[in-house]
Amino acid sequence: MDLNRLPNDKKLQLCRWYFKVGCILLPFVWAVNAVWFFKEAFIKPPFEEQKQIKKYVLMSAGGAAVWACSLAAWVSVFQTRRVTWGAIGDSLSFIVPLGQA
Amino acid sequence: MSDTGSDSEASATEHTALMDGHIAEARPDREIAERIARKRKSKSESQRNYGSVERREESGQGDNRDPGPSSSNPGVQMETQVEELELKYGARHVIKLFVPVTLCMLVVVATISSINFYSVKDVYLAYTPFHEESPYAVTKVWNALANSMILLSVIALMTVLLIVLYKKRCYKIIHGWLILSSLMLLFLFSYLYIEEALRAYNIPMDYITLVFVMWNFGVMGMIVIHWKGPLRMQQAYLIFIAALMALVFIKYLPEWTTWAVLAVISIWDLVAVLTPKGPLRILVETAQERNEPIFPALIYSSTVMYCMAAPGVAVGSAGGSGAPVQGAQAAGGENRGGGGGTEGDGEGGFDAAWRARGGSPRRLRVDSTAPAHYTTRLDRPRPPPPPPTDAEDEKGVKLGLGDFIFYSVLVGKASSYGDWNTTLACFVAILIGLCLTLLLLAIFKKALPALPISITFGLIFYFATRCVVKPFADALAAEQVFI
Repeated sequence: MDLNRLPNDKKLQLCRWYFKVGCILLPFVWAVNAVWFFKEAFIKPPFEEQKQIKKYVLMSAGGAAVWACSLAAWVSVFQTRRVTWGAIGDSLSFIVPLGQA
Repeated sequence: MSDTGSDSEASATEHTALMDGHIAEARPDREIAERIARKRKSKSESQRNYGSVERREESGQGDNRDPGPSSSNPGVQMETQVEELELKYGARHVIKLFVPVTLCMLVVVATISSINFYSVKDVYLAYTPFHEESPYAVTKVWNALANSMILLSVIALMTVLLIVLYKKRCYKIIHGWLILSSLMLLFLFSYLYIEEALRAYNIPMDYITLVFVMWNFGVMGMIVIHWKGPLRMQQAYLIFIAALMALVFIKYLPEWTTWAVLAVISIWDLVAVLTPKGPLRILVETAQERNEPIFPALIYSSTVMYCMAAPGVAVGSAGGSGAPVQGAQAAGGENRGGGGGTEGDGEGGFDAAWRARGGSPRRLRVDSTAPAHYTTRLDRPRPPPPPPTDAEDEKGVKLGLGDFIFYSVLVGKASSYGDWNTTLACFVAILIGLCLTLLLLAIFKKALPALPISITFGLIFYFATRCVVKPFADALAAEQVFI
């Protein structure tokens, strides 16, 4: 999908759609949205829909960053505290490593 | 489709390209080349005339080009320029396909080397009832041949089924089948893959993170493959899916059967695409009659395909998880259900995948995934004319995902024996075959099967290296000839 081929309103539509989809627990979609439309939003010479695209890009980037932080926090907590949680840790674990606690 | 009048039937536009086969250009090189040649022509008359001799020499097409020596005939001039440019573009396309094919093979080889799961044979598919458990070579050979015949007939059956569905315009069924296949491949098989990878590296993982990651990965994959997304992401997902399918084949086929299947599928590919009554050819011709492009859902495209001015039509770049997904379905069913209740589904998926892959992978696969795009396309009586702007972007090379899968199966299987000489030899052989196929495509300009040449070279190189080169290298190392 080459963004250069699209008319500006279609770009806005696409950006908005990606943003909406990302709202259902999909920060990856937000991240892709932010990266993909970054050039359109900030680097290209101003066009009519650019302000709105900018808004969506910023919101997507912000949302993705928040999710990334929370995921990193959860993973680090789990990996370090898994053993001390005992039974709960085991029930949460999908893979329990062999040969170690 | 009425662009190049003279060879409209032979040339591949973005409307016919996919239909036309495994490897086809999104737009004919000829058009682009002609356009550029025309621009050159308008530069200066004298330049053109002076350059005529050397250009004629440079045009290496080798056709019946007849250069009138001192003729300032603009037609001949342009022809030679066109040929030259076509070859130049052809060379670029070869390189553009090298990278994804290499990446796919790399993923498969890396997985086979590091994750033991895919080299271990525990469960087999229902399609291969002969498990090669006897110690006698003869028994193994006929087991392998019988298995490959069964698989081939399954594939042929599925191809015919697909043709029937397509002819009857049951696009919704094909569409639904494709979506289901993609879902299965992106979720179930990726889940199995990640589970085995984590287990191999002994990394603890919790359900919450796993579900979250799988959900994101899968949904992004569905969006990018079946709808619109960044091109690189689409290509990456397709490569990953092809690698997953190749791994499934490597795991679930008995040893000798894998090789027999590769050989049989190449022959089937050749037959199905090139013979007049070949199923794939029928499919393509039907699509051409109806003036519909076969949707490249299962096609890897090196550039974005703009087959639309049609709103709401998903862009056809490197689409395609249909065939592989179906295969995955089959394999997945086998794995999980122990071949019991899920066999039906699995087989269906497997068949589809197999067929798509086996019989002119490009076409079949295109068909399977095409429906999604087809349905939207059908609303318009005629496909819209291609956008007039820079055709160079549109002009990419398309290779079916089935081709990726079988190439990777060959290299992955070679690497599963642990010898890097063999693996590299097969890798080089496949790339050489791909080059040759693309060269033939540039010369013949019609749909060509991508499997036969590469797989033949791959098989020759594999057996030659394994039987001749490896013992030789081992003896050299043992005698310390190279220190």
